[in-house]
Amino acid sequence: MESEEKPDRYELFVELFAAHESDLRRFLRSLLPTATDTDEVLQQTALVLWRKFDQFDPETKFIKWACVVARFEALAYRRKMARDRMVFREDILELMADEGAEEIEVRSAEHDALELCLAELPEKQRKLVLLAHTPEVKVKQLAADAGSTAAAFYMKINRLRKTLLVCVEGKTTSAGGAAS
Amino acid sequence: MTDQQLIDGYLNQSLDAEAFDDLQERLLSSAVLRADLRRQLALVDHLEQLSSSDGDVELLRPWQQTPPEPLPMKNTLWAKLPWLVAAIAVLVAGAVLINDRSGSATDEVALHADSASEPSAEGFAVVRQVRDAVLADDGSLDTDSMLTSETLKLVSGSVELQFFSGAEMTLQGPAELEILSAWEAVCRRGSVRVKVPEAAQGFRLRGPETEIVDLGTEFGLEVGAEGAARVEVFDGEIAVHHRQEAERLITTGDAWELPSDGAATQIEPGIAQIPSPVEPTHSSRYADWRAYRDALTDDERLIAYYTFAEKDGAIVDHRDQHHGAKIRAESVASRWGGDEESAVEFRRPGSRVRVSLPGEFSAFTFMCWVRIDSLDRWYNALFMGDGYETGEPHWQIRDDGRLMLSVMVDDSQPHPKNPTDAGLHRVYFSPPFWDPSMSGQWIHLCSTYDPAQRQVCHYVDGELIHQAEIVDQFYIERLRIGNAELGNWGQPFRTNPLFAMRNLNGRMDELAVFSSALSPQEVQEHYQQSRH
Repeated sequence: MESEEKPDRYELFVELFAAHESDLRRFLRSLLPTATDTDEVLQQTALVLWRKFDQFDPETKFIKWACVVARFEALAYRRKMARDRMVFREDILELMADEGAEEIEVRSAEHDALELCLAELPEKQRKLVLLAHTPEVKVKQLAADAGSTAAAFYMKINRLRKTLLVCVEGKTTSAGGAAS
Repeated sequence: MTDQQLIDGYLNQSLDAEAFDDLQERLLSSAVLRADLRRQLALVDHLEQLSSSDGDVELLRPWQQTPPEPLPMKNTLWAKLPWLVAAIAVLVAGAVLINDRSGSATDEVALHADSASEPSAEGFAVVRQVRDAVLADDGSLDTDSMLTSETLKLVSGSVELQFFSGAEMTLQGPAELEILSAWEAVCRRGSVRVKVPEAAQGFRLRGPETEIVDLGTEFGLEVGAEGAARVEVFDGEIAVHHRQEAERLITTGDAWELPSDGAATQIEPGIAQIPSPVEPTHSSRYADWRAYRDALTDDERLIAYYTFAEKDGAIVDHRDQHHGAKIRAESVASRWGGDEESAVEFRRPGSRVRVSLPGEFSAFTFMCWVRIDSLDRWYNALFMGDGYETGEPHWQIRDDGRLMLSVMVDDSQPHPKNPTDAGLHRVYFSPPFWDPSMSGQWIHLCSTYDPAQRQVCHYVDGELIHQAEIVDQFYIERLRIGNAELGNWGQPFRTNPLFAMRNLNGRMDELAVFSSALSPQEVQEHYQQSRH
């Protein structure tokens, strides 16, 4: 009986998780210092979600439940982390998690706008900003290879991010205006 | 720091502990800041996800483990490095061009950026200096030529190479050196001296039976015809791996014999034949320049001429009139290289050279050689009148690479557009002339202020890049300097730290101030006479 039931539940889980993975990842990313940390906690969260999937109430939203689990996993991960890392204090992590869980839909809309904004960016700038955000790429090294200094390189990247943010803001607010 | 600077620092993972604490305090008390941070982290997350799924960028991942992985060094990943270095150089130069469409002389600037990006566009190292070098197989080698992964066979003479990792190498023939990457080379024969700045730590040099990893230092390696080698550390520390032996750390003053068929043994320092440190290039150009420099002091229009030699602790005015005082600034090698310390570096925040130039003038020319490492400050000082009082000049560079010259027209009047600003003055900006790809290059800068002709001009490397009119509102006839500073601003009257910190992260070599506006021909002449 159980063996027959499991594949169904497994499929349902995979479907739900896949549908919300990027939301969940984004949520975790706001709590943790780097993409690598986020990957690790996301993986751990997926495991715990699957183990506890029996407790999931299909009447509620999967993402809400997942965020609660992810929040705990992030806190647990935080305690394991070296103190010299740029990891948020517990009280801040909790605030960020509580508020972040309420913003899933806003983030999702911004995500779509960002796709458009990135496409609008001149190709060279787009490549540069992606290059700089490749997980574990050392900006210092990028800068040195480009004959630049880290400070100047960071400044350029900061500006490109700002350009994107402004663009996203424009797209999301005007889209909201059109809808209302 | 502003909220956004802290956020950027966190996103870039470049905050120090204190700034991170500051960010956390602010986050705790501001829901708006928290929301802002989440929004920006979501952007970063998106970029990270895209970049790690992008095929092109995927190639980077192995590469980011520079300095290189352990042997075997014939690593296919390294073969991709030239492409990568080129790609990044193009991206960086490109981003600057796209960013800066404003300004009337964009074309000149674009050319500039293009040529500046060339050195890193192909290859692993550049030839800095060739001395009586004879190459095997009748090959030839020119200064500034680029070396990729190739073998250099030197019958006699010497060459100086600069690797793009930052490592500097002097190779003395007869020698055979194979360049593997910007981070790695093999010396099969000959003697080398390697100087590795902090940024190039991890630079790897291999001998026939030995591998040396530089941990930030200066060292030499001599490889004899039979493959026996000697190594000596002049400063710092290296890790040496000889044959099957365990890794050994060698520090300042230590020397080791590295036989091709036996164990390493410690020897007295000074036995190994290592090229001397880079000598000043007393080329004919250098001699010409010295003659020109001495002749220039007879120019009646010269207010002061700092060549940055030091005498009795003072920065010498070449005319022997208005010596300056160096504060926290470091004396460093001049743009001619070598040991002669006749340039100053203003890297440290408080560093400056203070001068006092009394008198009243009818025009100004400011002219100097600078080597900018980065434009860290909003405004980066070249020559700044202390109080910025009526008639006093400010000559500086903005963080976007624009040259700025301004003179306080009337410090008792408010600035027409910005009442909180210092007083009635106008800043004359050039189009951007500098971008990070030019970091570390010596550049000749000149700006002139000519009330009689109603004209302000900016020059880079002898070329006029911008010209602006002095309109009635900003006209001032009588100019002064008084107490002033080179490379920093001593008397900031603002509380905003962005304004207050103005030290130039770079070096200055030879600064001349004239009481008249030099003509374009004269500026070009000076550039030609004083360049390498």
